[in-house]
Amino acid sequence: MDVQRSHAFTTYVEPELEVLLRVARTLTGSAADAEDLVQETLVRAFRAVHKFDGAHPRAWLLTILRNTNMNLHRRQRPGLVEDWASLGNPRPAFGAAAQDSAEDAVLKDILNEDLEVAVNSLDERFRTVLLLVDVDRLSYAEAADALGVPVGTIMSRLSRARDRVRAQLRTAGASQGRKS
Amino acid sequence: MITSLRRMATCHWSARRIQRYLDADPSAPLDPSEVRRLEEHLAVCAKCREVTDEHRALHRALARWSQQRLPDQAAVARMKDVLERIVQEEK
Repeated sequence: MDVQRSHAFTTYVEPELEVLLRVARTLTGSAADAEDLVQETLVRAFRAVHKFDGAHPRAWLLTILRNTNMNLHRRQRPGLVEDWASLGNPRPAFGAAAQDSAEDAVLKDILNEDLEVAVNSLDERFRTVLLLVDVDRLSYAEAADALGVPVGTIMSRLSRARDRVRAQLRTAGASQGRKS
Repeated sequence: MITSLRRMATCHWSARRIQRYLDADPSAPLDPSEVRRLEEHLAVCAKCREVTDEHRALHRALARWSQQRLPDQAAVARMKDVLERIVQEEK
């Protein structure tokens, strides 16, 4: 491996480390396992860099991350949001005074914990796509690379996931309304 | 009656495009005529506007999780060290 290629590898990979850690955490369900997965991904990517044409490093790395994760036979519940305590105390997810708006008012009585319950109650396939796109901020194509499925599958799972979460939040909101 | 049926058909058409409209993802853009038709419908249909507003609210709530779930900078630094070690070992 020549110096130039090593330098190129670092240039491709370093800007993507945060994204890789975010996605790995969603796929493994654990921050500690995410580090292990990214580390192994970097090793495998370096071995394969001679075959990489330099275009779309994120897509290339996400594909290696996905394959590495599959090979490691992770037993975690992928996509489960495991550490809600780190996200702060339960509080209204919407409608904080500084950010209140007409559209937030639609679901303003929904608590963050209701959102957590709604997301975690999704089937794993739907939850993972929701987290990759709406929380990890991947594009449809990047999420497709991370999961090894077509973009159309990402779109349909995402749509269903969001609709189910909205429906559950509505139910939770109605239930709270009845209690109050 | 016909107007009502036409409105329902447009609601159905819109429901299948609202998320793509809001996401504006480069993989699945709406074409300008679809955007125009959807926006015209949202201007007159309270039900579809409410669905759109809920999606925006959900998006914002999940975006807040995104900010709170950013990787620990110490973890990023450890991965940078790993990257450096891998490259150095090869030299």
